[in-house]
Amino acid sequence: MFAFSLAITNPMKGLHKEFEKEVIPHTDILYNYALRMTGNADDAHDLLQETFLKAYRFWDKYEKGTNVRAWLFRIMKNTYINVYRKAIKEPDTVDYNDIQNFYNIIREDSADANDLQEKLFGHLLDDDVTKALESLPEEFRTVVILCDIEELTYEEIAEFVECPVGTVRSRLHRGRKLLYSKLFEYAKKRGFVGKD
Amino acid sequence: MDCREFEELITEAVDDRLRAGNKRHFSDHANVCPSCRNEFEMEQITKGVMRGRIHHETTPRETYFAVLSSLRQSGSTSSNWLTLIFGEAFLNPAVALVALLMVAVGAVSLLQKSNAIPISTEKNIITQSINNYSAAMTGLLKPTLISHDPGDVKDYLSKDTPFDVSVASLEGCDWCGGVLSEVDGVRLVHVVYKIGGEGILYVYQVDMNEALRGNKIGLPENVKAVLAKTGWYFEQTPDLCNVVLWRHKNTLCAAVSKMERAKMVALLNDKDPL
Repeated sequence: MFAFSLAITNPMKGLHKEFEKEVIPHTDILYNYALRMTGNADDAHDLLQETFLKAYRFWDKYEKGTNVRAWLFRIMKNTYINVYRKAIKEPDTVDYNDIQNFYNIIREDSADANDLQEKLFGHLLDDDVTKALESLPEEFRTVVILCDIEELTYEEIAEFVECPVGTVRSRLHRGRKLLYSKLFEYAKKRGFVGKD
Repeated sequence: MDCREFEELITEAVDDRLRAGNKRHFSDHANVCPSCRNEFEMEQITKGVMRGRIHHETTPRETYFAVLSSLRQSGSTSSNWLTLIFGEAFLNPAVALVALLMVAVGAVSLLQKSNAIPISTEKNIITQSINNYSAAMTGLLKPTLISHDPGDVKDYLSKDTPFDVSVASLEGCDWCGGVLSEVDGVRLVHVVYKIGGEGILYVYQVDMNEALRGNKIGLPENVKAVLAKTGWYFEQTPDLCNVVLWRHKNTLCAAVSKMERAKMVALLNDKDPL
């Protein structure tokens, strides 16, 4: 008679409580990043789940005392790049002079920043704004999300994306510029800003 | 401050991070250079639109609990992994009742064996595979890792496994999971796939040489002969489970499922193992 028993053991057993205690508090920020990157709640749900499962699997590789949020974020970003990223076509060529000229014209009518924002983009739908953000290439979108929506510091973003603070700053500048062009394009299509 | 220096500081100014020394120079330049001032304001407006229109959202409760649940399944702290792989179907009261009864029967035998799970007492690999398929169906054979990504499962199972583990990216697969075991020093790999609408596909894997030697586990001579000749072996159990054996590199794989044999073969044959 031959018998064997299947060992149902988890190599990470015992670390589970510690893992949950460290990781679960960061669920919201990761879900929001997943939502803005994938563009829909179903994919964000899956991406979050994959991220946590991978993090659990590699928990022994996490260096205790370092920034666990940045570590989780990097796992999510890599998973997103491998599984969910869709090719973003090159942004349409926009005549930036056109944008600057238009801004100059409406700037003459009003110097109040809130009033200008309302005049320019106040009529845009929330969906237009979301689409404009989603149209940004991944490296620019990431820093805009982390800085403008999640309100992280440049230093923390730099740790998240593993690049110098100066690179974060230049990506933010470039990302916002692209975003402005995109918002202008939507406003123009909807007839909310002048068509020359 | 010239226009180039001003542009380099725009983003920090928008985020209110300018050092005191730069603030005045920045402001002085903005007052005399409308073009630079406009650039600054346009970036400020863009940030204002983002903050005003896109809000930080709270993770939906169902997502939060699904994540917690999958983590706890992964942590193997609960035996209810079937809920995860069966998904909504398992929430059907009739299915749940039958499964719970089966698990209860399994739990009694589990207690009798002092935490050892008697998956199979057979030396014959085919019988072992069929028994293990039943154990997977009743929840006694629990994957210690479940993922959407077959690569994760393969990496996990490949650690210290002396043969090539096959975890394929199967069409229509909702989840796959894996668990390792050993018998008399022989490593065994168990992979479970949840195929949408088709149920469970279980794949047993062992070193081919070990299976051919037959010292600790083995195959009947007629099965070995068919495998050597055609590369495949098929069998159907009295309760209509299909068993398919094939060779993957230096590994013997035995798949068991209630799926139709042709469908099973097409699924397994069509995909390059990862």
